[in-house]
Amino acid sequence: MNRVVVTGLGAVSACGLGADVLIDATQAGTSGVKPIHFEDLDAQRVKTAARLSEADLVEVLGEKPHRMREPVAEYALTAAREAVAQAGLTEEHFGESCGVSIGSGFGGGQTLNINYLKLGREGSMRLDPMSVPKIMNNAAASWVSMEFGATGPALCLATACSSGSQSIGMGYQMIASGQVDRCLAGGSEACLESGVFRVWELLRVMTAERNRPFSKDRNGMILGEGAGIMVLESLDSAQARGATIFCELVGFGTNSDAGDLLRPDPKRAASCMRVALNSAGMTPAGIGYLNAHGTGTVANDVNEVTALRDVFGADLDGLDVSSTKPIHGHALGAAGALEMIVAIGALQRQSVPPTINFTEVDSKIGLDPVANEAKPKFLNAVMSNSLAFGGINATLIAKAYAPD
Amino acid sequence: MSTNRKTLTKELLELVAQEGMVEPSEITPERPLEELDIQSADFVMILMAIEEKYGAYVSVDNELTDVVTVQDLLNLAISKIEAHQAAEA
Repeated sequence: MNRVVVTGLGAVSACGLGADVLIDATQAGTSGVKPIHFEDLDAQRVKTAARLSEADLVEVLGEKPHRMREPVAEYALTAAREAVAQAGLTEEHFGESCGVSIGSGFGGGQTLNINYLKLGREGSMRLDPMSVPKIMNNAAASWVSMEFGATGPALCLATACSSGSQSIGMGYQMIASGQVDRCLAGGSEACLESGVFRVWELLRVMTAERNRPFSKDRNGMILGEGAGIMVLESLDSAQARGATIFCELVGFGTNSDAGDLLRPDPKRAASCMRVALNSAGMTPAGIGYLNAHGTGTVANDVNEVTALRDVFGADLDGLDVSSTKPIHGHALGAAGALEMIVAIGALQRQSVPPTINFTEVDSKIGLDPVANEAKPKFLNAVMSNSLAFGGINATLIAKAYAPD
Repeated sequence: MSTNRKTLTKELLELVAQEGMVEPSEITPERPLEELDIQSADFVMILMAIEEKYGAYVSVDNELTDVVTVQDLLNLAISKIEAHQAAEA
């Protein structure tokens, strides 16, 4: 098995453009949540989302939108360019030896929404003829592969909120097994469209107030958007080209509940974390920080903390846990990738980012997360969880890089 | 102007029966929702109807987890509707 390292990070999020911008925001506790208004919705109940600023949208999408690309592809391309530049990859590093693994929960949400509104309002048959290639779920992965000439395997996992984490995990496995030398891995999501937003309202898991994971007064999540992409490489290939190594990806676990589509199973989430720990050859005590899935819905928070108690037991007291979703929102298919970047940022800066908006420990779950302010801490290993609708769990573990 | 609470309770009972697909005669305030076979998917329908009729948004979260009986649901709905009406006023 090859050792797998991270040599580049890229992010597009409500916090701004850039992985460092995202890490800065999560460390400072500065939220990217903003007011959002949809002209198409007669009565909009939830009025905030972690959306990109207007200026960032113009920078990412250009003044005139690309005819063949939805925002979901543009976000992924922007994040991938940053990660590739940071890693110092050039033409000879792509081709068959480079894979792409970029997931998305929804794929392109914009074109279908515009089409349906036009069809419904005007009865128009003149819809976007490029709809199919724009909306297909793998569009982001394919555009990234084309941009860099990465002709190795291109994957697009559409596993809701675990898409990003599982995609990084698949990239990790492809490199560990020697299938490819490197992989551009992560997730992208651009779901803040009127029709999509309305169906999230109808599921009633969004808060009309503030997102407060693990807090007694929590009452739902806040939707987000963006993309997180990282350059994963075999240690050998990173060393051979003299790359700067950010950290080592040491563990990946994924499994499914095979139970209920929406109600999570803490036993399966616990099992997923154990699989990741086993693959890393670590005990729970070795993890210094966990970036929780922490959506701020009662279903997730109760489930995840029950699972954490199962896995960490007495060690849970020594584990610092936070959810950074109130800062970058719940970016669905991009969530796991953005959050792994945040966890790697914690490792780089030796500082645990806070769960902002936290007011009071909920006696039902009894978890006291790192609240409202970052906490300096010696960190050697960090974990990130994604626990998706459909009962799909994924856990990633990164460790400070230590040469043999 | 806030809706009269008695009328509101009556309307909500009808709404719960309709959206929960339960005979109106079976619904009494003290009965547990589980006993009436009203499940989480029905909750979402009931809350959608409350939003349509009164404009109040209730998320499937904290407070809803403490709801056991029809009366608990009515109390929560009434408090949210009244809070919404006060905010709109």
